[in-house]
Amino acid sequence: MLCHRRDFFCVLYVKSMSDDLSALRQEIENAPLGEADAIDAFRIRFLSRKQGVITALMKRIPEIAPDERKAYGQDVNALKQRVEERLEAAQEALTTGSRSNGPALDITLPGRPVPEGSLHPLTETLDLIVHVFSSYGFQIAEGTEVEDDWHNFTALNFPEDHPARDMQDTFFIEEGKTLLRTHTSPVQIRVMKAQNPPVRVIVPGRVYRNEAISYKSYCLFHQVEGLYVDKGVTMADLKQILHAFARTLFGEDVRMRFRPSFFPFTEPSAEVDIWWSDPDLPGGGRWLEILGCGMVDPNVLTAVDIDPEVYTGYAFGMGVERIAMLRYGIDDIRTLYENDVRFLKQFTS
Amino acid sequence: MIISANWLRAYVHHGLDINELENLLTMCGLEVDGVEQIGSDLQGVVIGDVLDTRPHPDADRLTLCSVSLGEGDPIQIVCGAPNVAPGQRVPVATVGTTLQLPDRKNPEQKTAVTLKKVKLRGETSEGMICAEDELGLSDSHDGIMVLPVDAPVGASFAEWLSSRGVSASDYAIDVAITPNRPDAISHIGVARDVAALTASTLLPPEVVVPKPGGAAADLISVEIEAPALCHRYVGMVVTGVTIGESPAWLKQRLTAIGLRPRNNVVDITNFVMHECGQPLHAFDLAAVEGQQIRVRATEREQAFTTLDDKERTLPAGTLMISDGARDVAIAGVMGGQNSEVTPETTDVLIESAWFEPSGIRRTAKALSLQTDASYRFERGVDPTGQAWAAARAAQLMCELAGGTLVDGMVDCHPRPYEARSVRVRASRAASIIGVDIPAGHVETLLGAIGCTAVRIGQPADAGTDAANDPVWDVTLPPYRPDMEREIDVIEEIARLHGYDNIPEPERSAIPNFTPDPDPERTLKSRVRAQLAARGFREIYTNSMQPAERAQSFLTPALPAGQFGKQAVETLNPITTEMAALRTSLLPGALQAIQFNQNHGQQGVRLFEIGRVHVRAHSDRSVIEGFTEMETLLLAASGVWEAQGWLGAARNVDVFDIKGHIEALFAALRLRGVRFVPIESTGPFEQLAEMKYQGTYLGTLGQVLPAQNTAGAPLSGHPVCFAELDWDAVSEAALRHGRVRFAPVSRFPRVDRDLALVVDRHVPVGTLMADIADAGGDLLQDVSVFDVFEGGQLADNERSVAFSLTFGAQRTLRDNEVDEAVGRILKAVATRHGAQLRS
Repeated sequence: MLCHRRDFFCVLYVKSMSDDLSALRQEIENAPLGEADAIDAFRIRFLSRKQGVITALMKRIPEIAPDERKAYGQDVNALKQRVEERLEAAQEALTTGSRSNGPALDITLPGRPVPEGSLHPLTETLDLIVHVFSSYGFQIAEGTEVEDDWHNFTALNFPEDHPARDMQDTFFIEEGKTLLRTHTSPVQIRVMKAQNPPVRVIVPGRVYRNEAISYKSYCLFHQVEGLYVDKGVTMADLKQILHAFARTLFGEDVRMRFRPSFFPFTEPSAEVDIWWSDPDLPGGGRWLEILGCGMVDPNVLTAVDIDPEVYTGYAFGMGVERIAMLRYGIDDIRTLYENDVRFLKQFTS
Repeated sequence: MIISANWLRAYVHHGLDINELENLLTMCGLEVDGVEQIGSDLQGVVIGDVLDTRPHPDADRLTLCSVSLGEGDPIQIVCGAPNVAPGQRVPVATVGTTLQLPDRKNPEQKTAVTLKKVKLRGETSEGMICAEDELGLSDSHDGIMVLPVDAPVGASFAEWLSSRGVSASDYAIDVAITPNRPDAISHIGVARDVAALTASTLLPPEVVVPKPGGAAADLISVEIEAPALCHRYVGMVVTGVTIGESPAWLKQRLTAIGLRPRNNVVDITNFVMHECGQPLHAFDLAAVEGQQIRVRATEREQAFTTLDDKERTLPAGTLMISDGARDVAIAGVMGGQNSEVTPETTDVLIESAWFEPSGIRRTAKALSLQTDASYRFERGVDPTGQAWAAARAAQLMCELAGGTLVDGMVDCHPRPYEARSVRVRASRAASIIGVDIPAGHVETLLGAIGCTAVRIGQPADAGTDAANDPVWDVTLPPYRPDMEREIDVIEEIARLHGYDNIPEPERSAIPNFTPDPDPERTLKSRVRAQLAARGFREIYTNSMQPAERAQSFLTPALPAGQFGKQAVETLNPITTEMAALRTSLLPGALQAIQFNQNHGQQGVRLFEIGRVHVRAHSDRSVIEGFTEMETLLLAASGVWEAQGWLGAARNVDVFDIKGHIEALFAALRLRGVRFVPIESTGPFEQLAEMKYQGTYLGTLGQVLPAQNTAGAPLSGHPVCFAELDWDAVSEAALRHGRVRFAPVSRFPRVDRDLALVVDRHVPVGTLMADIADAGGDLLQDVSVFDVFEGGQLADNERSVAFSLTFGAQRTLRDNEVDEAVGRILKAVATRHGAQLRS
């Protein structure tokens, strides 16, 4: 090809010559030189005395115009050097290379270890619960763990000196004034004071109960509270949303029941059980309580200046630990706070 | 509260088996926590006639009995009881019968035993003549049970028992009573709901209530000095009683619900309380001085000995029952030792009163003394039920203790109960419950629990006809103090209708709203996922710690210490181990690391995001005087890189944690965070504060082993940690807003390396910051690739090699880069005396 061009026009020849040199350079760099055959072919292609491409270029140096000759000679020499370097390296690799002589790489050896991390099962459970209600258009609100008595009890229709306060053994910080919240319900009050209906929020958070620590109760736990206040909200709507929630967490064919209960801040109030199959039990299973709920008591709405004749609402609250324990088959709540790596590593990141 | 299934059936013939009853109670709001079977059904136990007895030839204590069971030949039974004798009618457990036999040392412990035909010392025995405890009728094992001579031989013993009002087997139903249901803390109360839900009739016992006054009023006078705390006090007198054991049926009622029978009079007061919910007290009339009862509140703290022989200190304001001379009972809580019924008592004063709930609650709490009586009074007993209950008890004392009722009664009633009613709209009920319940059905449901619903028309603003949308005037029963408002009645309608009968809507509307991307929460969840992916395990630790530990970690070196000096303590901790709220996540992590090292983990790396507390007011306070903040803790100890075929093990050092923190800041687009060394105190060393544009973001460093940090034990390896003020980090990260794309430069970059010799005390971080500063816009990246001391260098010197990368949106000229390098060299020379290494 080169010869062919030179025969036509000298100036053009030099220009296209430099293009051709760069094409050659690429060929030199990229030719694979793994096998002995390939190395021989490479040598013959470029350096053979009779047909080598570089040899031919060298022979033509005297034909180049004098003012171009030096640059041309240097370029060709550089190419030749590069060819020789590659040949040398390839020969070296062929003779000392691991592939033929050294021990073979054992790909069955373990890779460089990357440490495993994990998310806590409570985080996983909480995220799932939040996901369900977010999908249903609930916003997320949070409050503080240190609360005042008014938000935690009084505004939620807990009368003074009433046994209802015994249901929630309280850690006090300042007598009758400041306490550790016993539920996330005070955030209901804070949200409703800050925002006009419609209000549709869930409130995840840590709450405290002054109870003896055992396999089934801890001095603190996590709750997710839900609240929906709007015109025309009924108990039927409450059943619908909680049934949807139970299906996501416990399967499409979950059996659920609502039974009457009591909370000072809802009326009517209910507790929700799901049927837990267990072939070892008489009857093939048992009902397990998963949450409490009800229609927001008119006194609560009045406490935050919402007219209960215009608006109705529902509220619900569930323990994240309880749901996590059911989902993962954990039978002692303390396990969740022991942080034993052998426990944590069973949960993925 | 325990309900006996047999006892309940005395007031309502519901026709349900035990499972159906349990389900019905649970689904009407009287949640059943458990059901326990008491006794066996005594299938196979028949009445036998002892025809003949003779001593066992081979055993002194055994007797051979020939017993007729009616039909067929008499059988031979070997009996060990000393009281067996010919002519007795006895309960005989025949072969094949299963009995729940008690352990003699611990009668609660029972074992099921099925009787077989056996030989005892060579003599055949074809059954067992039973004692009361073997039949589950009592704990008595005083010989075999001898029946009246008219007991029919060959008949089923269980049938014979039930014809006498005694059941061999029963169920103890444990019902969880919510605070709004004082009406249901009794057998009649529960029976009322059962009757309402099964459309059965409630069958309360017939009781004749005497008229106030009469001879009783001559024997005793009652004066209520604290009418606000005691609205009613009824007294009845029964004379000539003989204190003794209660009959079997009464003892069985009480034992079924877990009460220990004492004597007939006391058992009767307990029986009536559990029957109707009204607590009663029986005084020995002879011990009531001055024929006088006064109900008064104490004026000062005083001592009083209750009938359990304990001296208690009563706070001022405690409501007391006093006689003419002294106190005789703590009203509504417990009677006094000085006036209790004794075996010598002949005349009894029955007290039946209504005490104000919150007063009783305060007293019971102050004394830490909750009794069956205080439990009922503090929830609110039926304000109209006092005379009935006293009369019922008096009637039983006459029947069972041989007493005589003194005519009349004292009924001191300063605050008579006023009938209550409330207006209830059917439309309102439908708007809460979400289902239309026919008006007639609502009236029936309410009627069944003692309400009377009278239609009074229709709401003024409703255009619908009154038949479909009525308004009722609902008279509220006195035993339902929880029912006051319209919503309380609506709850009852929903409860009796059945929550399960409320249909779920096919679809529902939700308010129009703008979905909130919630960047703060998203950020936190991303950081959690990143840390987990980088090999950290998330932990949840207890927020409650010993006060000293919380206090000792409240140091200016850590995030919460930026806000104050005092930890938050609770007034009523469970234990001193949990008396204060954590001020840092570090001590919890130290404990977790310790725990895991003790359980064989060589290397632990953990993280937690959680709240810490300090008692100080700040711009973050929601509750006046308290600051609550979220922090993020990373902590690692021991092996960081495990021993493997590619290399040796390496323990964590503070640069591992720093690397992760830097990666975190990079992920949050927080560039130029400065790590400023601070003085190490206490258990800490290698501390550095992180600052971003002058704002404190957190601290990193390490905790030394063997430093017993106020109870957070740590042994073995140091713990490297970083605790970030997550609120500040998150705020700084979110301030950037969304990413704005910058075009990627197509022009080559220029790399330069600089090795600087500088005083070894000059921090590299400061040098880097100054280099970045002096390099100007062209300098795109600075990194350290070597730090070297010794060799040719002077003792106080070190060499730090930096790799600089320059670039711009154009081709850089050499002299531009040279100029920038020149500025850098000048800056570090001027500020730190740094020179190029030759």
